[in-house]
Amino acid sequence: MRRRRAALEKKYTEDHEWIDISSPESASIGISTYAAKALGDVVYVELPTVDTEVNKGDAIGAVESVKSASDIMTPVGGTIIEVNSVLEEKPGTINKSPEGDGWLAKIKVTDTTELEGLMDAEAYRAFTEEVEDK
Amino acid sequence: MITLNRACTRARGCQHLLIARRRLSQSALDRLAQPVQSYISTSRDPYLNLSVEHYLLQKSAPESTVLFLYVNRPSIIIGRNQNPWLEVNLALLDPVPQSQPKTEPAGLENVDLVRRRSGGGTVFHDEGNVNWTVICPPKAFTRDKHAEMVVRALRSCGVERSRVNERHDIVLDQGERIADVDPDDTHLTPYTRRAGISEIKPLKVSGSAYKLTRQRALHHGTCLLSSPNLNIIPDYLHSPAKPHITARGVESVSSPVGNIVLSNEHFTNAVRSKFDGMYRSPKGTEHIEVGEDWLEHQAVKEGYAELKSREWTFLQTPQFTISTSADPAFTMDVELTVRNGAVSSGHLRRRGSAELVDLDKHSVGQRVHDIKSWPETLSHMFAGVDSAECGRLGAWFERMLPAQATRRRIAE
Repeated sequence: MRRRRAALEKKYTEDHEWIDISSPESASIGISTYAAKALGDVVYVELPTVDTEVNKGDAIGAVESVKSASDIMTPVGGTIIEVNSVLEEKPGTINKSPEGDGWLAKIKVTDTTELEGLMDAEAYRAFTEEVEDK
Repeated sequence: MITLNRACTRARGCQHLLIARRRLSQSALDRLAQPVQSYISTSRDPYLNLSVEHYLLQKSAPESTVLFLYVNRPSIIIGRNQNPWLEVNLALLDPVPQSQPKTEPAGLENVDLVRRRSGGGTVFHDEGNVNWTVICPPKAFTRDKHAEMVVRALRSCGVERSRVNERHDIVLDQGERIADVDPDDTHLTPYTRRAGISEIKPLKVSGSAYKLTRQRALHHGTCLLSSPNLNIIPDYLHSPAKPHITARGVESVSSPVGNIVLSNEHFTNAVRSKFDGMYRSPKGTEHIEVGEDWLEHQAVKEGYAELKSREWTFLQTPQFTISTSADPAFTMDVELTVRNGAVSSGHLRRRGSAELVDLDKHSVGQRVHDIKSWPETLSHMFAGVDSAECGRLGAWFERMLPAQATRRRIAE
């Protein structure tokens, strides 16, 4: 029962980010398990600054793994209200728990209609399988 | 070989120059939309070359594949998330002041320090090293694909010992021939030693780094062809501060390096040929020269200014702490924490005492790269330290985190 509820709260983008929509005033954002696996061991996380206003698709930070600096995009527009400073000391948390403790930032969503275009967990799973097959 | 812009600076009249610039911009824009593009730089300026590279990453058509080749004058390139005080012997970088008599230098004058936008570790560039970049759509990207392309290029020049290793670097296997292998396998040579056999370490000749954005994937790497500086590179890449710094961010992985011994021209022609073979465009790929005229593109000019800025070079440094505690010479321990390149906290403690003197709040935010005199700065940072002690501690900090005014030349 609890797992099903969690699946309903998360939405995903084609760029493999997730957003927890259960409270748009303070929605957690992160990267998916699929993305974390593809990235490899994360050795450094560049977090956004609190109070930054962002548009959907803007780079809000970056992650370094296997000599790659990878941009992280925000799934929706809004204002960054909190960042996960645990990642400054323990960037590997993203690999251990990408969709839990490894959240990157919390955003106050400006326009909740932007959430409608995102995939639910089921659709995202199908999307990643399609990507793998290509 | 002369670019359109250079020819026009020799011509009479501004009118001609303006028309030439406009034409150059338009054709450059058209080229950025082509499915396959190939560029080579005529400049040795690392800030310009990296700015052009970033411009190509941001402006080339999302479905296009782009090759860019460039050579830099002597410079040290650190990764996006690295610490210059930890990775580089900064005291060696300052140019010899013109007024001072020249002594026989053990090393180079005027080595630039550049923080690039891709990840990875620190490398030394000079005219014997050719840099290659491939930008492609994320769907087509793998970390090995274009390193394999470069290995095929090297093998076509007779460098049969070259292969891609597990870190996506290019190495030359050493020692005698061991076994026949599939010649198409770019991860194995007839000289590759299996695990367990007495090891002769391969020589690294190319390191890779990557930048991944929403729409594009960039892979760039070095290629050590004929550097005259191999024996002094270790001096530049060894920082005296290393034992005394605890840092977040990314540390370099050191490898023994060697020259392939090949001309720049032979190598660049081979890379272009392999690139053309992989991405054959119907019209054939024109190889475009890029020079200082590209600074006319606003985005290149802005990127250039950012890369050159001391803010980008130093303030992007992940948090670190430096401490005198490992050095037995002192009677007091000083610890400073530096966040975003500026001092954020610190304390001083006399050895044997539990009493801490905290960093003076007026020193919070002091940018390390702006410090002119360490003894003076320390006297402001901590109350109750006499000038003799500030002098001794100051000399130590000067060695570890060299200030602007007092860098030494190698010869001294």
